[in-house]
Amino acid sequence: MTDTAPSITREQTARVQTARVQTTRVHTALFAEVTQKLRLRAKELLESGEVVSVIGWEAGRFENQTTPAFITDANKVDRLIFNEYCANTLGKYVLSEKLDGKVAVCVRGCESRGINRMISDNQLKRSEVYLLGLPCPGMVESPEVSHASEPSHAPEASSKLLSKCAFCTHRQPVVFDEYLGTCEATDETLGGLIPKPIDPSERFSDVEELEALSLDERNAYFEKLYNNCIRCYACREVCPCCTCRECFVDQARAGWQGKQNNLEENRFYNLTRVFHIGDRCVECGECERVCPMELPLMKINRKMVKDLTTLFSVPEAGLDSETISPLNTYDVADLEEYL
Amino acid sequence: MSVVESNSDFQPTVLAFCCHWCTYSGADLAGLNRMNYPANIRLLRVPCSGRVNPQYVLTAFNKGCDGVLVCGCHPGDCHYVSGNYFAKRRMMAFKRLLEYTGLEPERFQIRWISGSEAGKFRDVVTQVCEEIRALGPLKHSASFEAFAEQGALGTVNALTPANKAEEVVEND
Repeated sequence: MTDTAPSITREQTARVQTARVQTTRVHTALFAEVTQKLRLRAKELLESGEVVSVIGWEAGRFENQTTPAFITDANKVDRLIFNEYCANTLGKYVLSEKLDGKVAVCVRGCESRGINRMISDNQLKRSEVYLLGLPCPGMVESPEVSHASEPSHAPEASSKLLSKCAFCTHRQPVVFDEYLGTCEATDETLGGLIPKPIDPSERFSDVEELEALSLDERNAYFEKLYNNCIRCYACREVCPCCTCRECFVDQARAGWQGKQNNLEENRFYNLTRVFHIGDRCVECGECERVCPMELPLMKINRKMVKDLTTLFSVPEAGLDSETISPLNTYDVADLEEYL
Repeated sequence: MSVVESNSDFQPTVLAFCCHWCTYSGADLAGLNRMNYPANIRLLRVPCSGRVNPQYVLTAFNKGCDGVLVCGCHPGDCHYVSGNYFAKRRMMAFKRLLEYTGLEPERFQIRWISGSEAGKFRDVVTQVCEEIRALGPLKHSASFEAFAEQGALGTVNALTPANKAEEVVEND
């Protein structure tokens, strides 16, 4: 343990925190138009029998919340909505839905990269899904559900962008069968509606902030993370990379993962999870969003992505379904640091 | 095998994963040549450095090892053609990940040692054991509690998004 004060000042910390908080306008007109197109196409696809179900979002129990919707009846397509609270990434639901036949699924940047991920991991065939590309201006955090008597119906002028959307580098779908947006599918600003997404080289800013801390501080930081983890495995369930039929944590006989909830076992789980997905992570940030303990899981994921990117100069994952992940291959010219 | 004399009383436990085709033979040769190296090292023979699952490394730390050494064939010499190239990529990423999450770099090391390099085996093992002896035992307890005692947890708390779990109270 060091006796000196932590090297990072509180002002620096505050700057990092504010950099993460981005606000966005709510694009009501865009959402309304896309929702109309989506309902129309979903109805046509279901009526023609081309697909057996359409995966999208529907209104949730609360005003500012949505939940994934699985529409199998053409008369119920009006349940589908697309608004600024569609926080769930839908890609992984395809794996269970496709058992009944071809599935149509709404894809934004994050979902389309997850679909590519599952295709290159041989979990899915491209012919098994029909991809409805949607333009995404970035989703916003639901305001705290208030139990006050009168809920406010006034749309907010600006809202806080989800942390996963603040780090998004591809708002537009990278693969789709048809595009339901109002602009070119390659226009990342959605026809000037939103600022350009961050440059891929900037997405490691919070990893770099942590790397700048001392070893002891990093140790304390991550031990706190592990200590708060309840090992509910929600991060694994939503991850488009986690498609093993039997996960190592469920292999009770092999005994990889102990049953206790303590720091050692939680560290084992978190580090192994990152290592299993880190070379294929599409950085959708869904693990971090679903974490009931609000653990900053992407800060570990992105560290591994950053290292592999810098060491082996690999492209961003999930942009196509052909690229071999960096740990599944090698190059005799790799950097040598163990002689 | 005699224990190399050290000033410290601490006897670390260091686990070495040794490739059957190179380092394990190198260790054998070191023994035949009556070379001295610390008895703190535990050799675990694996068919290839590519067989070393990073989960083995984590398990070793959880089960009480103070350090882990992974040894394999020099690049180009793998008995299975490419196992050590895969191991190299894997270990490069894993070592960085462990260091990022707060493990001292000395506690997890990777070396290429061929079957004829008995001297190198002795030198590496001695060096690794002494480095870990100097570091002391691996701390398993939560070090953030120690940080809280120092009143220095503010940095860590500030970087962590609001945790629903009870915050560790800082002694100001």
